[in-house]
Amino acid sequence: METVILASKKLWRKPLDSEKIKPPEAEIYIIRDRCKGCGFCIQFCPKEVLEESEEINARGVHPPKVKDAGKCALCGFCTAICPDFAIFVVEKPSEKKEEEKK
Amino acid sequence: MSKKQVTKKDKQLQKDQVRIGVYVCHCGLNIAGSVDCEEVAKFAATLPYVVVAKDNRYTCSDQGQELIKNDIKEHKLNRIVVASCSPRLHEPTFRRTCEEAGLNKYLFEMANIREQCSWVHLYEKKKATEKAKDLVKAAVAKVVLLDPAIESVVPIIQKALVIGGGVAGIQAALDLADTGYKVYLVEREPSIGGRMAQIDKTFPTMDCSICILAPKMSDAGRHSNIELLTNSEVQDVKGYIGNFKVKVLKKPRYVTKDCSACGDCSEVCPITVPNEFDVGLATRHGIYTPFAQAVPSTYIIDPNICLNQEGILKCDKCIKACERKAIDFDMKPEVLELEVGTIIVATGADIYDPTSLQNYGYRKYPNVITSLEFERLINAGGPSGGHLLRPSDMKIPKSVAFVQCVGSRSDRGHLYCSNICCMNTIKDALLIKEHWPETEIYVFYVDIRAFGKGFEDLYKRARKEGVIFIRGLPAEIHEDRKTRNLWLIGENTLQKELYKINVGMVILSVGIEPRIDSDVIQRLLVLSRTNDGFFMEAHPKLRPVDTPTGGVFLAGCAEGPKDIKDSVTQASAAAARAGILMAKGKVTVEAITPRVLEEACKACGLCTKVCPYNAITLNEDLKRAEVIEAACSGCGTCGAECPFSALYMRHFTDEQINAQIDALTEQDADKKIIAFCCNWCAYAGADFAGVSRMQYPSNVRIIRTMCSGRVSPKFVERAFARGAAAVLVAGCHIGDCHYINANLQTQKRVERLWKKMEKLDLNKDRLQLLWASAAEGERVASKVKEMQAIVNSITKEEIEKSKKMMEKA
Repeated sequence: METVILASKKLWRKPLDSEKIKPPEAEIYIIRDRCKGCGFCIQFCPKEVLEESEEINARGVHPPKVKDAGKCALCGFCTAICPDFAIFVVEKPSEKKEEEKK
Repeated sequence: MSKKQVTKKDKQLQKDQVRIGVYVCHCGLNIAGSVDCEEVAKFAATLPYVVVAKDNRYTCSDQGQELIKNDIKEHKLNRIVVASCSPRLHEPTFRRTCEEAGLNKYLFEMANIREQCSWVHLYEKKKATEKAKDLVKAAVAKVVLLDPAIESVVPIIQKALVIGGGVAGIQAALDLADTGYKVYLVEREPSIGGRMAQIDKTFPTMDCSICILAPKMSDAGRHSNIELLTNSEVQDVKGYIGNFKVKVLKKPRYVTKDCSACGDCSEVCPITVPNEFDVGLATRHGIYTPFAQAVPSTYIIDPNICLNQEGILKCDKCIKACERKAIDFDMKPEVLELEVGTIIVATGADIYDPTSLQNYGYRKYPNVITSLEFERLINAGGPSGGHLLRPSDMKIPKSVAFVQCVGSRSDRGHLYCSNICCMNTIKDALLIKEHWPETEIYVFYVDIRAFGKGFEDLYKRARKEGVIFIRGLPAEIHEDRKTRNLWLIGENTLQKELYKINVGMVILSVGIEPRIDSDVIQRLLVLSRTNDGFFMEAHPKLRPVDTPTGGVFLAGCAEGPKDIKDSVTQASAAAARAGILMAKGKVTVEAITPRVLEEACKACGLCTKVCPYNAITLNEDLKRAEVIEAACSGCGTCGAECPFSALYMRHFTDEQINAQIDALTEQDADKKIIAFCCNWCAYAGADFAGVSRMQYPSNVRIIRTMCSGRVSPKFVERAFARGAAAVLVAGCHIGDCHYINANLQTQKRVERLWKKMEKLDLNKDRLQLLWASAAEGERVASKVKEMQAIVNSITKEEIEKSKKMMEKA
């Protein structure tokens, strides 16, 4: 899973704290039959998480599917931009946070 | 300021009244060692209009100057020639002497018989003496024609610009601000602090680096006279000493001053990248502060990695997290236009990247680190909390080796010594001993240079504490695949035996190199750089923080590798130098701007096209060109362009330069090279060749002009018509011209002359064009050597032919 983007060729070392960084994990829900295939979510996702599926839904279009959930930064832009309320993202409860709750 | 027309009759009348004093300086043995000064003085006495000719040991001494002053009064002298060192060194001195004796300082001329004669012809006494005579003759010929002039006074804006917010920039800004001047401190990074903020401890006192720097940083941030411009870059500089117009690009932070630096935004940011401040050993987020003590403490959003690109707000996590509503994605880059009187360049240096030295295995073996990475690892606030952890297994090594001179003192990196690495290593070794006394420490070195105050003590302490110093750098470093330990193999040159030593970690003591983008500042401020690539000072001994550009000063590693103490010292010096100018409040501008001779001007407009400053305009009503005095810098490229000799280039007139050419070609012209050198680069380069005692053939005669753009084709043709064997036109490198781009005109004119020579069937090799910077004495010397071969190959017939052809032309 991609945790750290390399900023430049100069900073080549693996940061010592990279193991500790646990970016939030996303659960992406797509309500396939609501999708009208406009493709906004695919086009505008800043991390390119989504792609068009081959499946045909009730409205006769190809709904998106998740290409790489690990990349999702949980920005929620897909939810905001979807004209048909067909996609939403929830943060997976991480182990660390579970512990904190206890 | 209109000039009265000088008629030929007036000129003749003036000439008849000319009374010249010539002073030939021995400069101890510097000149007298290879030039017979007495003979030169005797020769000078025979020249027209010369009333007094004397030689003395040191003309620049008080007695020497008194002598000139007395003679001016006693013999009613109205022109002075001093044959000594370069006018770049002592012209101001002697001009002042003249003024003190009541003589207009523009009635003075120097013959450079040291840098451009005695020092470069050390072993040719006879030839050097002949050359000195020639140079004196040319100076006398010119001085006869000089006009008195009054300099115009320009006010100095009492504000300063400091470029670079490292320790040098901070110190310079604080000193100037405390003196009472307004200072703009421009820093490219989001925070001031520079390299010193990254370092753990300082040598030789082992002070905590950030602990002593942070108070200075916050002083600079809070000072009412300092305007801090971080995340900003200087884009453009126009103007001249006392009156610079600077454009600074202030990039948006996307966080307003309301930020309380609580860090809530950073916690929610989904983007993570390696942190530049920790040399990539730790991470930061898309919205961050580079380090805890950053000034300003305001957070910043890295626009390159933020999810919100091209104005589309995709992620609003930081906005939601910020209680003070300090995040503003609508911020736009701003261009600030500042007006300042002085500029201090404190742009610092880069760190050598040892990747290319493959035998050391940097980037190949994880446990080979650089000294800067070490600083972050040993720092308690760093990524490892102050534990020296091996990147391979996060364990503290039981033995370490330092390798010195990585990237320094070698043709596989830089040739110069980086000045700080020896002491830095000794300090680092002691730090390791302090934390983990059992660690075995080896230092592989070439020479240990512990030259500063308290340095030797620190070195001795390191030896006492058991640090093992081995002379001889490792030839290779190999990794033990299992343990990830490293084998260093090399020769101990003191004991003449091979070593093979196993350690847990290797620290490469990397050198300092000029900023990779130094050329930008160099171009903007018209600075020179030495062969090493660092900015060059106006004089290495006596003007160490000045630059050749008036009103611009240097501080810190931009000028050369140096430690913190030296950077701070130099910064205070630069601030004092800038302060002197601003305290005076005014500066005089050399009276070398042109006058338009109204009768001769045909209003063709050629001059207006070549002026780099747009300082000449065409007055359509009066049908003549007009000079805008304040905008003109006096390069003289207009004068060289004018086909009607209608521009009277004060102090470098056609007549004066022709008189110099004539004087230099009177005897043995067919053996001589006449060289036209621009004051800032080529002439300074020739001076540098002298200072470095680079020997070259003695038959070259240099004529100084302010810019190579002043060299009119007429001058070159005249030299050939007078029988000169070869002509050299030399100026600054293209792009480095002191007058923006006037040397492009030089190039055009020389190319045109080459074409003409080809057409006339003349050997065009006899005219040469050279670009040489002030640091490139070697280029000047080798060009003269190269031209000597051309001169030797030229036959008498060819000389006669060119004489005839060029006379016609």
